[in-house]
Amino acid sequence: MKCLLLANESAEVLFYWTDTEFEQRVQEQYGVSQEEGERLPAFEDSINTLFAPIIISCSTMVDRLGDNYTSFSTENNHIYVLHQFEECLYIAVNGDGDETEEDLKRKIFVMKKLTEIMFGMVTFSGALLRKELRPQDTEQRNRLWKKLRSLLETYSRLRENDQSFLVEAVERLIHPTLCEQCIEFLERRLVQQINSNMDRMGEEVLHAFILVHTKLLAFYSSRNASNLYSSDLLALIILVQDLYPSKINLDETSEMAEDSLQTLEAPTPDPSAPSRVFLESKECPMPHSMYCLPLWPGITLVLLTKIPNSHVATSVCYFLEAFVKLEKRLCEGHEGAAAMRGQPSVQEQRSRLEKLIKTWAGMDIQVSGQQNFKNKAFSRSGSGFTSDLLPSCRNMKTQLCGVYRQFFAAECMGSSQRLAPHLQERALSMVQEKLMDWKDFLLVKSKRNITMEFPGLIHFIYVDRSNGQMIAPSLNVTDRTVSELGKGPLADFIKKKVWSLVATAQRYLQKGYATVTLRDGDYFYCYFLWFENETGYKLEVIDIPSSPDDGAPVGMLTCDYYRKLLRYYSKKHQNEVVKCYELFTVHLGVIPNEYILQHCSQLARKLWEPTRIPLL
Amino acid sequence: MSMTVFVLLQTPIDQQELLCGQLAGVCRCVSELSSSPVRLLHLRKSKYAVRMKDKFLWALSCVVDIPDVSVCDLLDQLIALFCFYNGPVRQSYQLYSKQELALRWARYLCHLQGGSTELHHIFSCLRTIDSTHIDPLLLLKAALILQACQRCPLVLAGCILYRGRVVSTQMPPALTVKVMVYETQTYSQDFQVTANGLSSLVGSPFSSTATTQVFLMPTELHMLRCPPVDRACRSHCNQPPCQPSRSRLLSRTLSDTPTTDTDSSSLDPTHCPPPSYKTVPSSPRSSLSDELCFSPSPSRVNTPIHSNLMNQSEYFTPDSHVHSTSNGTNLCAVEEHLAGLNIKQDIDANSGSETKSNGLNSDQDIQSEEIKAPANGYEQSNCLDNHSDLDSQIKSEENKLDANNHVTNKNGNGETEEEAKTKSKQINRKLKEKNEPTNTPSPHETLEDTSLVPLVLYQHRVKGLVLALLVEPEFITDHSAREEVHHSSLASLNGLEAHLRNTSPGTPGPPGPYTFAHYDCIQNTLTTNVCGRSVGPQDQAFVKATKLVHSHFSRLDTLQEAIVRNASSAVYGTRTTAQETYFLQQGTPVRNSGSPDPQDSAFSLPRKARLRLLKHGVNLL
Repeated sequence: MKCLLLANESAEVLFYWTDTEFEQRVQEQYGVSQEEGERLPAFEDSINTLFAPIIISCSTMVDRLGDNYTSFSTENNHIYVLHQFEECLYIAVNGDGDETEEDLKRKIFVMKKLTEIMFGMVTFSGALLRKELRPQDTEQRNRLWKKLRSLLETYSRLRENDQSFLVEAVERLIHPTLCEQCIEFLERRLVQQINSNMDRMGEEVLHAFILVHTKLLAFYSSRNASNLYSSDLLALIILVQDLYPSKINLDETSEMAEDSLQTLEAPTPDPSAPSRVFLESKECPMPHSMYCLPLWPGITLVLLTKIPNSHVATSVCYFLEAFVKLEKRLCEGHEGAAAMRGQPSVQEQRSRLEKLIKTWAGMDIQVSGQQNFKNKAFSRSGSGFTSDLLPSCRNMKTQLCGVYRQFFAAECMGSSQRLAPHLQERALSMVQEKLMDWKDFLLVKSKRNITMEFPGLIHFIYVDRSNGQMIAPSLNVTDRTVSELGKGPLADFIKKKVWSLVATAQRYLQKGYATVTLRDGDYFYCYFLWFENETGYKLEVIDIPSSPDDGAPVGMLTCDYYRKLLRYYSKKHQNEVVKCYELFTVHLGVIPNEYILQHCSQLARKLWEPTRIPLL
Repeated sequence: MSMTVFVLLQTPIDQQELLCGQLAGVCRCVSELSSSPVRLLHLRKSKYAVRMKDKFLWALSCVVDIPDVSVCDLLDQLIALFCFYNGPVRQSYQLYSKQELALRWARYLCHLQGGSTELHHIFSCLRTIDSTHIDPLLLLKAALILQACQRCPLVLAGCILYRGRVVSTQMPPALTVKVMVYETQTYSQDFQVTANGLSSLVGSPFSSTATTQVFLMPTELHMLRCPPVDRACRSHCNQPPCQPSRSRLLSRTLSDTPTTDTDSSSLDPTHCPPPSYKTVPSSPRSSLSDELCFSPSPSRVNTPIHSNLMNQSEYFTPDSHVHSTSNGTNLCAVEEHLAGLNIKQDIDANSGSETKSNGLNSDQDIQSEEIKAPANGYEQSNCLDNHSDLDSQIKSEENKLDANNHVTNKNGNGETEEEAKTKSKQINRKLKEKNEPTNTPSPHETLEDTSLVPLVLYQHRVKGLVLALLVEPEFITDHSAREEVHHSSLASLNGLEAHLRNTSPGTPGPPGPYTFAHYDCIQNTLTTNVCGRSVGPQDQAFVKATKLVHSHFSRLDTLQEAIVRNASSAVYGTRTTAQETYFLQQGTPVRNSGSPDPQDSAFSLPRKARLRLLKHGVNLL
């Protein structure tokens, strides 16, 4: 029994997702009419009615007490988790015991991440996000909600079955030679060819990578490209998996999976149309086009391109930030020059903004309200920088988000903006040709990536948090092929244990504990987190600050805990590059502790090597 | 439907009302969605344990870093305490005024929060006497006093307390906690607040006896009447009570030698095994004496549970006309919080009797003010230490409220004072009838809580020492039995008191090179060398880790041991079904990287704990 919903402050549901069990329960409770055609809107109404008191109570608590609910749990172990992002309230419910409070919180943060990937800076404005998530047109809304629901389900499936989504790090296929060959191929042949072709419609390939199921075979970034963060790469893998689900995780027979793949190969009416994705950069969420080209079932080539006018995003963001700062300072009661402290001179900003607005006007993009702001802020009769300026300051924010949306939202770009289809086809066939002989090997390799030789060691996961990559033996309990652990109830049992070990370790890490060992039933579990410099010299531990219970979950996909942790540690080691590693192990409990710890130490040393494969 | 709201905290009154309304509403909404009562509610800055039972809702808040399991336990204990002294919840809410109920909740909460360290809150355990410096023979003597009292067939079980701490008990821990409230309530008082008309007072301020009515759950009573051990010595239990008791020595000191004319079998350990729930006081290497821990200390560390109890009742009893006055008071709260949603229905139900609900509304504000005062007073007094202050405050408030009620009745209802008196007499009569153990339960009691069985708690105080016995109701009327129990135990109690008082506190040993806590889940006791007041950074690190690991143990049954380590400390926790032990080795940790290393000192903690704790009587082998 699961549910996730987004609502705004006026208790309007902006999006919801439920499983059938939850839907049935609601219908039973409200005796929703079963008439065809009327069923759907009626269900939405009952969801609205059911949650409205909770949503309204939330805003009352925030307004009157400055506090808010973060979770409820009931005697029959139903869990409700709530989180407010700006004007948007997220509620996640579980009533079947499959998810913990932490899982639900993570799901909420992932949902937030997905909306950021899809809508970029538009999410900064509550009013615009509402428009985006809840389009007036019912058909359009149904299409969008269907897409979001499917993404959420894809994420849940990956989180449940895929270790790289368990620890939120990208898994590499360990084959250094092939990896290097592929990177070279992507660089010298593919990207160069596309970027020098006239039919690329002003787009430029910045990143190209090959996925075997969810595992990364090769990744290439062009020299002009800014860094692609692991959190984004993980989110992109969700998008790819949503378009081309791997049969590896579908609990079906292989023939059926083959069949479904046939139908899934054309998921959109327009297969050569890219998806618009907004990726993190130092300045702001930058718009990109994403092309997913299925090489074979399970193997996908992904191209990320820079789109025309994307520099506008940077300037919009610059001013948006300025207005956010101004608003904050005005809210805090600063007035006059103090309100503008820490920003370039007012006059300079003013002229820059005016210049930009003129340029945008030339592109048929209007910014209303700017005159109003100018009059109030700068004219002699106006109030200057006082709290009276707040409404027009907020208005400017919305306007800027609107400009951003007009420039970059997928439907505003026009359907012609894409790499020419023949260019896409060419790219596809080039890589297909290159990997033809490797295809079967890769599919097998993706399931038996690494093997273990320590007696008594049941499982391990090794993560390099500095580059967001992990290594672990496979644990595919639903797959037909046998993984290192075999299959059946034991494998399933171990899988559950591994999942709970990671959750436990993260809970302790959140409270500042970087080493944890546990004796649980017949097994012994270890967790280690440590820092090294580039040469592999182990650095001294530091006290990791413990984060509040309502903070972001520990992970990379959401709010990137480890990036912050590394930044925190690096402050104390400014002269060297700091790397961060994690090791999770499961041993048989009968093995003496000394041996277990020796194993862990050897394992860490041994696994250090494969992570040195260059990514470029 | 009506609703009563009590909040005891420093929160301003308007915020209290807001919280009550919001939490009640949201809990109801969630429990409807899930078809199950809400148990726990987290906010960003605090958390609430919630109990929704019948038409009542209680919410108890604490800071976020107290484990969920601990705060839920505390709320359950609190409600159990309330029922123990007041009987069925619904009945109490009909009988007592809001103010009176608020005072009672404050008293019980204060009692439960009196634990000396944060660790006591985490484990919700009994406070036991520090036996490190006490002659073990004294403990034996206490146990013998209890056994001797049990020879009176009306006595079910007892415990001996010294200055708010358990010396010896025959009751299960949950019951001992409840009994202790009465003890602390009467502690350092010459006379005793009459709780529900049953209490009586005999003797001088230094030695006095008192009784009060209490209510036990059938399971508790079953354990007392039919303990799991075979009590051959108490076979005469089957004799009909109220028989003229034989003259016999009810108590003996250790110097006494068994005489042939007494029931010698009762002293034979093979014939009379010790009661199953005998609590052996903990023996921590405490650096502070019991005396010190008990005395008031202004620098005392504040307890983390910020005593925020919220309590709402909603009931629609069609036959509640019996207690229409109290119902009327409750109705005012409804008008405020539920905008009179269902009042009409309730008034209709009551219309046959003398309902004066509207008249009381005007008094709402005054009453709210009155609640605040004792609540705040309680906050400042900080529990046990200033008990006498609290109680006198409570008393004066009670008096004030009485006066206030009269005014209310006169002005608000146009009711004459005489009418009011008659009514209160009626209520008292009803209450008496209800409390009369021989009576059949009143009809509306059958709806709920009927299972609670009335018993009597007898208490004999000798200065700081208290003998508390749970006795059959007949004990009150059976004068000879009372006399016997009183007189025969008096000498032994005096002796024990003198011994305990004169026991030197002992010189506090140097703080050990380690910190530990050992929790006995069966006896519900805690042994620790963490002291309540001098909480150093190592102790804080220890308590923080203990909270997390205890929480983890409570969630995962199969978890046996855990080591958690951050840069400055490593804590080892281990548990069996009967106990949980936590251990921290002090001293600056050797430089380490946190990477897997068999030489890491953190992994030698289990071995060290096994060695070090042996001398504290903790066996981890």
